[in-house]
Amino acid sequence: MSLTGLQKYSRLYSSFFKASFIADMEYRVNFLTRIFGDVFWYLAQIVMFEVLYLHTDKIGTWNVHQTRVFLGLLFVVDAIYMVIFSDNLDRLTERVRKGEMDLLLTKPVDSQFMLSCQRVNTALLGNFTIASSWLIYSLFKLPHLEPLKLLWLIVLIPTGVISLYSIRFMFGATAIIFTRSENLQFMWYQVYKLGMRPDHIYFPWLKFLLLTLFPVAIVASVPARAVLDPTNYWLFAWSIAWTAVILWLSHRFWNFCLKYYSSASS
Amino acid sequence: MHFLRRNLAFFRLAVLTNLEYRVNFFTDAILQPFCTSLIELTLWFAVFASATSTTIGGFTREYYLAYALWTAFVARIATSWMYEFKMIEEIDSGSINGLLVRPMSFFEYYLSQLLGYKFITTVISLLIPLAMITFFQLPTIYSRIPLALLLITYYLVLVHTIGFIVSSMAFHLNRIYSLTGTKNLALWLVSGELVPVDLLPEPYKTWVLDLPFCNGVYIPVAYITGRVGTSMVWHGFMTTTVGLAVFSIIAVFMWRWGLRKYVGTGA
Repeated sequence: MSLTGLQKYSRLYSSFFKASFIADMEYRVNFLTRIFGDVFWYLAQIVMFEVLYLHTDKIGTWNVHQTRVFLGLLFVVDAIYMVIFSDNLDRLTERVRKGEMDLLLTKPVDSQFMLSCQRVNTALLGNFTIASSWLIYSLFKLPHLEPLKLLWLIVLIPTGVISLYSIRFMFGATAIIFTRSENLQFMWYQVYKLGMRPDHIYFPWLKFLLLTLFPVAIVASVPARAVLDPTNYWLFAWSIAWTAVILWLSHRFWNFCLKYYSSASS
Repeated sequence: MHFLRRNLAFFRLAVLTNLEYRVNFFTDAILQPFCTSLIELTLWFAVFASATSTTIGGFTREYYLAYALWTAFVARIATSWMYEFKMIEEIDSGSINGLLVRPMSFFEYYLSQLLGYKFITTVISLLIPLAMITFFQLPTIYSRIPLALLLITYYLVLVHTIGFIVSSMAFHLNRIYSLTGTKNLALWLVSGELVPVDLLPEPYKTWVLDLPFCNGVYIPVAYITGRVGTSMVWHGFMTTTVGLAVFSIIAVFMWRWGLRKYVGTGA
């Protein structure tokens, strides 16, 4: 993409952000309850592991301090994804069915960008703050933290977000082919659930699938390994390269799906 | 008699409506809880693989596998999203007008539908854990299932009452959908779906058991799998009754307050 193109998309995204913020502030109770909703989700994940660690020293290879860091990274990646993409991708099926895509496809902008980024969930910026606070707290509590390893997160957190986005987008894009693909969207959540647990608790074949076919282990397990385990350059290189590939694949898949698109509007 | 007949009609309406889209129903009642149970089973395998003892909280791995298996399906039965969303939508869009003029109450119309939907979900989805439990010979006391199901049904009335309160807020606030999500997440946290409540440290364990919200998942599943005795189920009935009394008062107040404010200009 050229510099002019990049500037155009940046300006466009800035406008999306402003419009979304104004829309979010219109319904303030909704704004607040969305933040609280996710706080309960964070609490649920934390409580589950904290209770389990009251009865065992380790789950898989990690102790309670290491699992807290894993959860912190999961929350941060999830919060970024929720702010930028979730509202857009959750509505994708409905937009296809209601024929809202027609207008969007005629715009002189990449349709994948428009569909994925048009609505920014500004309420969840509060969640990002909470998630980051938990991550910082868990890193401080870690007995043997190697600060240099944190530099990996500069690359691996965006990698996790992009990987999460790409898989979710491909699940969402199937709506164009099947029109009613709610069931596939349900299945997406089940796949994502696998990424919400440290990958070393899974059987080797499942772990392999979660790094390749459904790479949800890249979301939080790989960044957590970068901070907690001995540096595994191959794993990180694979995660970054594979994320780039699935992002490209998501675009290719989108263009493929568009061939099946038939207008639903009157 | 008339009351029973019309509610039976709502009940049947829900059964038929939900069976209309069979793939959706299959995903909702079977596939989703099945996947959830597999993920939970993996977690418990990992917990016991790294534990230094063969028991946790006095129970062996098989008890936790049975708990995880039942929980995924029972939790699906004990939650209410769909009808709460529908109630909010009716109020939000104004289409409630068509229901208000009918000789029935908005509460019973959706309660009977919820029970109909949960009935068909229960009949079909519980076959899966039953088959798996039998096949893997995991601890389950089959004779306890009817009483556990009765408690879940009673708990559903409570869940519906809470949902009714949330949807009554739609008379005052336009966007209330996220409150449903928040409320369900809060209930999820204390329901026992994540971990068995008996693993919680004191005093949290006592607090959670004294609240009615673990009567949808923890108490029925713990009872079926032999973690608790019958007295705990009666305790569950009692806390649900107290909860129902409290939330009913709030529900009546919220509904009346909402109706006073409501201007029926919708569809």
